[in-house]
Amino acid sequence: MTDETATDMPTRAPPKANRLVPRPILDSLRALGLVFAIVVIAAFFQIQNQAFLSPENVLTIVRSMASLAIIAFAQLLVIIAGELDLSVGAVYGLGATTLAVFWLGVGNVPFQLPLVLAIVVALGVGALAGGINAFFTTVVGIPSFIATLGMLSIAAGLELLLSNASSFNPQYNLPPPSRVELDIFRALGATVLPFRIPIQVLWLAVLFGIFWVLRHRTLFGFRLLAVGGNADAARISRLPVRKYKWIVFVLSGVMAVVAGILDFSYVGSVGPGSGSALTFPVFAAVVIGGASLSGGRGTVIGTLIGATLLAVLRNGLAIMGVGAFAGLLFVGIVTIGAVSFDRLAFGRGKS
Amino acid sequence: MTPMTTPPLVLELSGIRQSFGRTQALRGLDFEARGGEILGIAGPNGAGKSTLVRILAGEESRDGGEIQVTGRAWEPGDSTDRVAVVHQEPQIWTNLTLAENLVVGRESFRFGRARLTPDERQILHELDIEGDADQPLAECSLAVRQRAEIARAIAQEARFFLFDEPNSALTDKESDQLFAYMHELARKGRIVILVTHRLSEMVAHCARVLVIRDGRVTAELGASELTVEAISVELVVGGSVGRGGQLREHRGPELEPSSGTDLGTPPTITKEAVLALRNWSHPKGRFIAVDLDLGPGEIVAVVGVEGSGARELVASTANYAPGTGHRAIAGAEDDRGISRGSVYLPGDRRAMLFGNLSVSENLVVRLGVPEIATEGGFLRRQRLRTLATKLVERFGIRSQGLDAPVGSLSGGNQQKVAIAAAIAREPALLVLEEPTRGVDAGAKGDIYRILRHFVAGGSGVLVYCTEVPEVFELADRVVVVDGGRVSRLMAVADHSDIASLAATIARSEHTAAGPDVVHAAGALSRGPRSVLLPNHDSTDKGPL
Repeated sequence: MTDETATDMPTRAPPKANRLVPRPILDSLRALGLVFAIVVIAAFFQIQNQAFLSPENVLTIVRSMASLAIIAFAQLLVIIAGELDLSVGAVYGLGATTLAVFWLGVGNVPFQLPLVLAIVVALGVGALAGGINAFFTTVVGIPSFIATLGMLSIAAGLELLLSNASSFNPQYNLPPPSRVELDIFRALGATVLPFRIPIQVLWLAVLFGIFWVLRHRTLFGFRLLAVGGNADAARISRLPVRKYKWIVFVLSGVMAVVAGILDFSYVGSVGPGSGSALTFPVFAAVVIGGASLSGGRGTVIGTLIGATLLAVLRNGLAIMGVGAFAGLLFVGIVTIGAVSFDRLAFGRGKS
Repeated sequence: MTPMTTPPLVLELSGIRQSFGRTQALRGLDFEARGGEILGIAGPNGAGKSTLVRILAGEESRDGGEIQVTGRAWEPGDSTDRVAVVHQEPQIWTNLTLAENLVVGRESFRFGRARLTPDERQILHELDIEGDADQPLAECSLAVRQRAEIARAIAQEARFFLFDEPNSALTDKESDQLFAYMHELARKGRIVILVTHRLSEMVAHCARVLVIRDGRVTAELGASELTVEAISVELVVGGSVGRGGQLREHRGPELEPSSGTDLGTPPTITKEAVLALRNWSHPKGRFIAVDLDLGPGEIVAVVGVEGSGARELVASTANYAPGTGHRAIAGAEDDRGISRGSVYLPGDRRAMLFGNLSVSENLVVRLGVPEIATEGGFLRRQRLRTLATKLVERFGIRSQGLDAPVGSLSGGNQQKVAIAAAIAREPALLVLEEPTRGVDAGAKGDIYRILRHFVAGGSGVLVYCTEVPEVFELADRVVVVDGGRVSRLMAVADHSDIASLAATIARSEHTAAGPDVVHAAGALSRGPRSVLLPNHDSTDKGPL
C-alpha cells in the first residue's frame, strides 16, 4: 500500500538507464527485434519445407494476414487511446452478414438492396456498433472492457438473428444477384493483380499507409498519444478526449466491417460466427507490436510486424502439417512470450 | 495491550539521505524520538516530510543514513516491528468489516467469520469503536476508519506510531479524541510522532517540535521556546530572507534573466481587466460571493489552507472547478472564450505532464492548428521542433535533448516544461497552483522570473500559493481565503520583508471569515488555522 497521494516530491525518476532513451529509438529497437524473430522463424520453416519461402506461399501469407492486420490497425488506435474493443470479431461477422442479407434479401430481411447500398448499410452497422461502444465508454463512463464485451454478444446475436443462422453464397443464391453486382463484389477481395498478387496485398498496403499517416503525421495521432498517455493531463490541457475516443471506436467498428466484407468476397460465402476466432489474434498482433494496453504507446509498423509474425507462424505450422489446434496453441505461446521478452528486455511498466 | 517496554524506547535517525533523480529530498537528517512523548515534525512544502514519513513507514528505501532503536540497528521495512502510520486517509480495507480489518494477515481461523479475542475487543472498547466491529469500514465515518487503523496497529503490538496530518478532515470533537489517544499511546511508553500543518495543535500536544527545511532538521523547539510564533519564524524565515529580498529588487521591466536565457518577447494583450469575478460562488459553498479584479501585467496570489476553498476558487476561474456568478476573462464570459483566454496548471505535476511523450512533445501538446499542424490536420514536424527548441532556450530547460522522455528531467525542469507549454498558448490569464512545489531553490527563482516576464506583456497570473515566501517573491497582490470567504486584496509591495507579510496574511486569515459568518459546510468549519504551514501532502484533485 504505497501512499499515492503523497506528492510533495517530484515525479520519481527510477534509476533505469532506458528512461533516458528516446521513445522512437526504443520503438525501432523493438521492431528490429521482431523482424529478427520473424527471420529466425521463417528460416526454421524454410529448412523444414523448401516451399515455405516460394513467391506463391509468401503472397498467401500476406493475403491471409490482410483482414487481421486491417482490424488491428484500428484496434491499435483504440489501445493507444487507453481503451479496448473486444467486439471487433463479432462486428466483423455482423458486417459481412449484414451485407449478405440486405443485398440478397435472405435470412430475416424480406427485401433486396443494390450492392452499393448494402455495403453502406454494413459499414453503417459497424460505425453504429463503434458509436455505441464509445457512448457507453465516454458518456456513461463504464469501462470499455465491459461495454465492448457486451457489444461482442449483441453483435453475435444480431448476426444470428439477421441470418437465421444460415450460410449464404451470392453465386448460388436464388434469385442470383445481377452479373455486374456479382463481379464487383468478387472483385473486392478475389481479384488477382499483375504478377499474381492478390488484391488483399493492395488493400493492406493502402490501409497501412493511411493508418501510418494518421498515427505518425497528423495532429490527431499526436494528440491521441497524449489522450491515452495521461487522460487527466489531457483534460487539463483541454484536448478533446471524448471526441477522440468516439473517433477511434467508430473507426474500429468500420474497419472490422471492411475486413469482414473483404473476407466474404474472397471466400465467396459467409456463415454464422465467422469472426469469433479473430478477436484474440487482433489483440495479439497489436500487443506483440509493442503497444501498451495502458495506453499512450504503439506504432502502426509494430502492429503490421506483429500480424506478420502471427501469419508466418500459422502458415508455417500448417505447411508442416501440425494442424489448426496446435496452431492456436503456438499463437498463445508466442504472444505471451513476445510480450514477456519485451518487458524483460526493455523493463517498462505494465503492458 | 503490551506492558511498557523497559528500558525506555528511543528511535534515533542519523544522516538520513534520499534523492530522486537530481533532487535531494533528504540531505543528512538527524533526530531522536523518545518513548513517552509526542514529537512534532513541521516543515514547509517540499522540505522532505513526506519522504521521511515514507522511509519510516518502510514504503521507501533510503540512499544512506542509520536508524537505531534503543541502541540497536533497526530497519523500517521489518513487518514484525513496523512503524504504524495513521494517515489522513486511512489505508485499510474498506470492503472488510472493522473486526476483519483488525485480524487481516494474522487470522486465527480458517473457516467461518473473523472472531476477535478478548484483548482485541478491549482495544476496540478503549478506542470507543466496539459497537462498529461488524460494520464494513466503507460505511463507517472517517474518524472510525482512522481509529480502526490505530486499533490494528495496537493489536499488532506496534511500538512506533506516526500520525501524518491525521485530523485535517476530522471534526473538532473527533480531533480532540484523537489527541487523547495519542497521549495515551505516549503514556504507555510508545513513540508517537505527529506530522501536521496545524501549529497550534503541535504546540498544545507535542513535547518537542522539529522543523525540517531542505531535507535537514534546522531547529528543535521544546519547553518554553515552543510557541506558534517560534515555529512560524523557523518555517518562514529559515535563512531565505536575504535571497527573497534580492529577487524582489530584480523585479520589474528591467528584469535580467540570470542564466543568460533569452525569455523572448512576451505576448502583448491589451484588455482592461484580464480577470473579473463578481459574486462568484461555489455551488456547494466552498467559496462564497467572491469579487476579484486582476489587471494586465499583474500576478495575484490566492492563499489559504487545504479545505479553505482557495484551491477551488483558483481552479474555478479556468473552469476546472464549478462556480456560479459573473466571470470574465479578457472580456469573454462564455465557456469558449474562457477556454481560449485561460490556461490552467494544477499543483500535481503528474496531472500536467505526459510521461509517454518526449520533452518536445510535452512542450507543444497544448498547441494545435496552425502552430503545429496545417489546416488539413497534418503535423508540421519541422515547425514543431523549431518551436520546442525555442521554448527550451527561452525557459532554460535542461534536458538530454528534445527527444528525451520528460520523466528523465529533474523536478524543476519538468515544472518548467509544464509552465512553458502553458505559456506557449499565449493565454490572457495563466492559472497556477503551487508552481514551485517540490522544486529546488534555483529552479524556483527561474520559475518566478519566467512568470514575471510573462505578465510583463500584459497577461495576468492567478496563483494558488501555500507559502508566504512565494507570495512575497512572486505576487503583486494577495487575497486570503478562509472558510470560503475572501479577504480584501492586499499589495505585497507594502511589506518590506517576508515576516511582516506573513503577519498580515495570518491576520487576514483570522478576519476573512469573520465571527458572524455561518460556515457553509461542516468540512469548512474547522476554526482558524495558520496558513503558514498548510497541508501539502494531500492532493485534493477537486471536481475536475
